[in-house]
Amino acid sequence: MSDNIYLPELARIAHIKEEIGGERAIKTFRVEPVEGDTFKHECGQCAMLSVFGRGEMMISIASSPLIKEYKQFSIMRVGRVSATFHELEVGDVIGIRGPYGNSFPLDDWKGKNLVFIGGGVGLAPIWPLITTALAQRADFKNITVFYGARSPRDLMYRAELERMRGDANIQLSVDKAEDGWKEFCGFVPANVLDKKPSPDNTIAITCGPPIMIKFVIENLSKLGFKDEQIYTTIENKMKCGLGKCGRCNVGKDYVCTKGPVYSWAQLKELPEEY
Amino acid sequence: MQKILEKIQLDAWIAALGEWEILAPAMEDGIWGYHPLDGAVRLDHSNTTQPPKGLSFPQREVFFSFEQIKGEPPRLTQKMPAATRRAVFGVRPCDGAGAVRMDKVFSDHVADPYYQNRRKNLAYVGLACNKPQGSNCFCLSVGGSPVATEGMDVLMTDLGDRYFVTAVTETGKALMSAAAKVFTAPTAADKKLVEKTHADAVAQPQRAVNDVDAAPAKLKASFDSPLWEELARACIGCGVCTFLCPTCHCFDINDESTGSSPIKGNRVRTWDNCQFPDFTMHTSGHNPRESLGARLRQRVSHKFQYFPENFGMPQCTGCGRCISECSVGIDIINTVNKVTGHVG
Ligand SMILES: Cc1cc2nc3c(=O)[nH]c(=O)nc-3n(C[C@H](O)[C@H](O)[C@H](O)COP(=O)(O)OP(=O)(O)OC[C@H]3O[C@@H](n4cnc5c(N)ncnc54)[C@H](O)[C@@H]3O)c2cc1C
Ligand code: SF4
Ligand code: SF4
Ligand code: FES
Repeated sequence: MSDNIYLPELARIAHIKEEIGGERAIKTFRVEPVEGDTFKHECGQCAMLSVFGRGEMMISIASSPLIKEYKQFSIMRVGRVSATFHELEVGDVIGIRGPYGNSFPLDDWKGKNLVFIGGGVGLAPIWPLITTALAQRADFKNITVFYGARSPRDLMYRAELERMRGDANIQLSVDKAEDGWKEFCGFVPANVLDKKPSPDNTIAITCGPPIMIKFVIENLSKLGFKDEQIYTTIENKMKCGLGKCGRCNVGKDYVCTKGPVYSWAQLKELPEEY
Repeated sequence: MQKILEKIQLDAWIAALGEWEILAPAMEDGIWGYHPLDGAVRLDHSNTTQPPKGLSFPQREVFFSFEQIKGEPPRLTQKMPAATRRAVFGVRPCDGAGAVRMDKVFSDHVADPYYQNRRKNLAYVGLACNKPQGSNCFCLSVGGSPVATEGMDVLMTDLGDRYFVTAVTETGKALMSAAAKVFTAPTAADKKLVEKTHADAVAQPQRAVNDVDAAPAKLKASFDSPLWEELARACIGCGVCTFLCPTCHCFDINDESTGSSPIKGNRVRTWDNCQFPDFTMHTSGHNPRESLGARLRQRVSHKFQYFPENFGMPQCTGCGRCISECSVGIDIINTVNKVTGHVG
């Protein structure tokens, strides 16, 4: 890689999948380096993606580090750069720099039960963790995935989740019931309380809208999970990813270098500025 | 290396620095800052309104330009700063200390090549403050001094018709050696006089932040203090306080587009500002620092809590600019003292 920390590598879009339509559409992009190898990453890390002429944005790397050929990103259409991404086609060339941030200590969790709790586009940041754990299935005990969205049409990675059944206990939910929906109806935190995962020898990892995370953590605590057993990620606005532009801090920590992964025990020590 | 330079020899020294671009305090568009020397050097002005930080961290700089035909890799052209050596005359100790703090930010974690390329070619020829430059100076209470050499390559002290000139770094020695014949050796009387001048400078009354060492813990304990909103109420969010601060380093990165087919433009870094509401606002509209109070708390806590926690020194050097230039009278000394004063 170049010594210039701001100069992106070039990557070509190899595959695009429309996950969810509508106003807050989500598309999943697979990108491959235009030339040579790209950087290595760990579960939970992010990359700064750019469309030249539009700008950069920070996106979680949503593919397992075990996959070397491409990196995957699931992007919600919200503003300037993300909307431009949604207009891109297979073959288009984008910029990418990274990896940024810390990662989930997956190796420390071998021999434990894992409970993943995601909401909306918040499944993307924990997806590498889920798929890596499943690729090393024998290293872990029970693996449970709670995932919810507004309606069945708003669930991303649906086909992949269905294929995981058997290897993992998949618990889906939607906020509003629709004809034919057989699984839980209600918010994600309520589904967690309903299914009562045991805290014994378990790590819970949650990612999603801040309000969901708040209630998930509350409910996990009710179920007996200790603060050290709960992990989450925080998203603050980012520009550099390098601890220099000064905007992503929570207290003395720049989330882009010290986060985005925190245990609830660690996060509680920081001021609530996220 | 300690030498005496007759004031009338200053121009001769500068003339001998042919390989260096010389910058000195000058007024441009009605504002005092550091500019390429045009005529004779003047060091008799009080501290500049603009600190020299823009010389290593310009307000706007192009990282690279791009040109891309859709579906093809773009051509990226890096715009690394030219390797011109620049000597900056008349830098005051609070701004030397500012450079030290900027250096930490732009070398910690990973080095910033744009900053480093400019900085390694910059030499600061400082000028000690025999008396405070303004009524809001408070360097002594934040670990600095009006005669400090921190961040300087050379420090000059005004002794009336002469300067007492001390080399602080190897670069400083080289600057002085380039014009060896304009300097003379100091006499015992000169050394005595400079000592007395420095002692007098330090003894001049200044405003003060109370107990800067205790500030990190006290600010931490004051995160939820109602004083933040109260003290910030008048702020109009203009950002002058951070733009003029010798240690504020926050920036934005954007693409400036100059053409669409092919796609053409520049990726640009510009100063940004924690006092602006959209600095931290997410695309969703959620803002972790929504109120004026939260933003004042960020500016003050960064300087007196977070930076000390990360780097072991306050990020404020006591230059007083943010106080003097704030149009609504928001005063960082009073803010720190009031907020920390409520903690036992
Ligand atoms: C750690 C982390 C992980 C994330 N992971 C994901 C993920 O996996 N998937 C996902 O969908 N999102 C993710 N996000 C959120 C994502 O970064 C934001 O949604 C994204 O940055 C929005 O960018 P935008 O340009 O679309 O939005 P905008 O709000 O339009 O703009 C963002 C930036 O673009 C620039 N900009 C916008 N408009 C203008 C203008 N008119 N002129 C000049 N500049 C302008 C500004 O500098 C602005 O800060 C993550 C965020 C973080 C911090
Ligand atoms: S200079 Fe004063 S008014 Fe302007 S942003 Fe700073 S504190 Fe607010
Ligand atoms: S915070 Fe204010 S007084 Fe301190 S260095 Fe910055 S501008 Fe100067
Ligand atoms: S994104 Fe710039 S400091 Fe974190």
